[in-house]
Amino acid sequence: MKILVPLKRVADPDNANKVKVNGGKLETTGLEWKPNPFDEYAVETALRLTENGTNPKARQGEVVVVTFGPKDTETTLRAALATGADRAIRVDAADDALDGDLVARALKALVEKEKPDLVLLGKQAVDGDSNQVGQLLAEYLGWPQATFAGSIQSEDDKSLVVGREVDGGTLKVRVTLPAVVSVDLRIVAPNSVRGKHTPPTHAYADGVRFAALMAIMAAKKKPLAEVKLADLASDTALKIKYTGFELPPARKAGIKVKAVSELVDKLKNEAKVV
Amino acid sequence: MTKPVQAINRYKADLREMFFLLFEQFRVNEVLGKAPYEAWGEEEVKTTLQEVYRWVREVTGPLNVVGDTHGCKLEGGRVITPPGFKDAWKQLYEAGWNSIGVSPDYGGAGSPAAVQALVLELLAGSNAAFAMYPGLAHGAAEVIQHFGTPEQKKLYCERMYSGKWGGTMCLTEPHAGTDVGSAKTTAKKNADGSYTITGTKIFISGGDHDLAENVIHLVLARVDGAPAGTKGLTLFIVPRVRTSEDGTLGQTNDVAVGALEHKMGINGSATCVLVFGENEKCVGWPVGGEEKINQGMAQMFKMMNTARIAVGVQGFAVASTAYLNALEYARERKQGSSITHWKDATAPRVPIMQHADVRRMLLDMKARVEGLRALAVKLAFHQDQVRVHSGKDEAQVAYHQGQVDLLVPLVKSYGSDQGFRVCETAIQTYGGAGYTRDYPVEQYCRDAKIFSIYEGTNHIQAMDLVGRKLGQAGGANLQSFLGDVAKFVAAHSGHATLGPAVKALGAAQEAVGGSAMRLLMWFQSGQLALVPLAANRFLEMMSELTVAWLLLQGAVIAEEARAKVDAAHPDHAFYTGKVQAALYFTRNVLPGVTHKAELMGAEDKTAIDIPDAAFATV
Repeated sequence: MKILVPLKRVADPDNANKVKVNGGKLETTGLEWKPNPFDEYAVETALRLTENGTNPKARQGEVVVVTFGPKDTETTLRAALATGADRAIRVDAADDALDGDLVARALKALVEKEKPDLVLLGKQAVDGDSNQVGQLLAEYLGWPQATFAGSIQSEDDKSLVVGREVDGGTLKVRVTLPAVVSVDLRIVAPNSVRGKHTPPTHAYADGVRFAALMAIMAAKKKPLAEVKLADLASDTALKIKYTGFELPPARKAGIKVKAVSELVDKLKNEAKVV
Repeated sequence: MTKPVQAINRYKADLREMFFLLFEQFRVNEVLGKAPYEAWGEEEVKTTLQEVYRWVREVTGPLNVVGDTHGCKLEGGRVITPPGFKDAWKQLYEAGWNSIGVSPDYGGAGSPAAVQALVLELLAGSNAAFAMYPGLAHGAAEVIQHFGTPEQKKLYCERMYSGKWGGTMCLTEPHAGTDVGSAKTTAKKNADGSYTITGTKIFISGGDHDLAENVIHLVLARVDGAPAGTKGLTLFIVPRVRTSEDGTLGQTNDVAVGALEHKMGINGSATCVLVFGENEKCVGWPVGGEEKINQGMAQMFKMMNTARIAVGVQGFAVASTAYLNALEYARERKQGSSITHWKDATAPRVPIMQHADVRRMLLDMKARVEGLRALAVKLAFHQDQVRVHSGKDEAQVAYHQGQVDLLVPLVKSYGSDQGFRVCETAIQTYGGAGYTRDYPVEQYCRDAKIFSIYEGTNHIQAMDLVGRKLGQAGGANLQSFLGDVAKFVAAHSGHATLGPAVKALGAAQEAVGGSAMRLLMWFQSGQLALVPLAANRFLEMMSELTVAWLLLQGAVIAEEARAKVDAAHPDHAFYTGKVQAALYFTRNVLPGVTHKAELMGAEDKTAIDIPDAAFATV
């Protein structure tokens, strides 16, 4: 199976340096970048589908990772190559010259060129939280889609059984390949992904795999191609216009109530929630 | 019943600081991409450190408190390591972190020593006790790689570097601790060329464990008829389980675990009494074969050098996470109001970081930790230069190797001494909370105490420095060192902001040079009794000089870099921190060097003059 995994880097939410707003614009100086966690889960899922879990070094398919951004986003791609992806593509673009629709249209052109059996991606990026690219891409390609996957079973090369995380439980759907699947948090649980090469008794370690030292050293030698955005999308105009940014207002301090009756009174008459 | 412990990670490291040392101060880029580091580039170094940091926070970090609480157990004559250690060992070797500096010929990644030292910091800082098992296996394998016969290298090295087999070093005996030359373990030659080993070794770290299928002991023993003292010691390879030439495990080798020590710290590390040849069925082979009989100490020194550097790294590794934890606490814990409102009982409570003495402790820890790290990276830098120049420029090799030799006792002693003291300051920063097991610093402090004792006590290091290293190469190594400091002083004493601090460094350099001459005079004039009394003090002086120098060197670079960074950029604060730490150390610690030189000059002998009976009448 050949799988294309679009990745995005995001500002590391755990880092002390947060995004700042400066004159209605986002200030990204000094931010530490990391791969969007949901996209990391997508890479992990793709690797599980294209290997025998008991012998992961012998690849049983191809995983191609792709990102959109300036030269330094190649670090994100190299990191994915170090965990096991086979090949990488960087679509050269400035960070602020992109929106979900443009990325989806460019990905469509890339998919037509690469002809993967499956596009796997995170359900959303944890910066903009737009949750659009997977759905738009499926529509533009005319492919079936399964979003918020918490489990994937691959029995043959023709279809996948995807457990979708929905309100109140899991909805199992069968999608015919080629398809677009976006993944949710639970996809990296030890038994969430059942690839056809891995024996059913094999349990993965919880979460995303670590890059091994030798794989980090080998990542440099794996192919990383650069593509121009304009070569993938004839119209690079953005559909989303950013008119301004502001930080959420700081929370006001609470008050202490003296008695339960006062609390009930406030909930009734001030907050009007009971 | 013991309260179940939660395996949560408390480990913190500062990668920005590591990258500063590697890429800005010691410019490791200049050796990357070139022989013997062709495979390494800046990105590989950064990714590796980031990935190891991620790994230790998820794997070894959470096991630190688990190992401390559970400790090791002796069951059926075998050591059972704490829960989770086995899996961590497996993962460590699958990832390859432990063999990062090992030659690719033996399955390693051949990284620069500077990178290896920082990977070791992450491993040891996240879990000092766990990191000892792979650390000792590595050290033992190195000895076999350097001194073993081709057959021994083939059989042992890769298996030990890959974690299939563990390893230990067995020197200490009940009667032979610091006085290793009085070791009583014997070796009797057998008809097949092997030796029958008989004796008891104590304090053997990782002396047995369940992490690997075999443990290879390197045992110092005296062959029948060999001379007394260290000259008669031979180093033997003694496997726990005998193996055939292809590595297949055979029968056990009569190596028994007599007991486990109950210790103050590093409880996850099994400290064993090992009994060799209880049933006269323990065999060993001399490292390097028959012609290496009686050369055990020289061989063991190879391992001890590696181990001593590693202990210095352990010291600041644990201290660094103690500091960063204390810093986090000091930022969050609110207590008292600002001193400017001390009369106003209703003034808002402030984080304790706002109190002057807490800030002093924080900066004191920061300066020491960063200074110690710089000292260790400098040593590793010289090791890398030795490898880069090897076979091409022998003068350069001699210079850099000389600096390595000179710095080893400093890294080991000052790293372990100050590392412990930083942990103590970290507890003080927390106040009572730091004394409880709810926070990690009390464990750090207990774990760190051993560092100044094992691998040669810090006094042994000081005697190594004053007795061997100062006079090594006719004193050329010391002269080069003092010359390097003098060059820095000459180049920067006019620095706009750091100039006065650099001048103070010049004064300390003269004091250290003068004190070295004084030591020489004591040797020559037969006043030997003064030497051990002053040795620790001299080592401390020389270490403080070196640390101040390296902090100032970093500060000069940071000043220049800061001017090019936007004030809002986090690097601006980072570089400011480098400068402030250097200023703090040079203003508050460095002046002590000249004072200590005066104390040495006073030639005080009260500790010798006092009669034994006068110490106490009980």
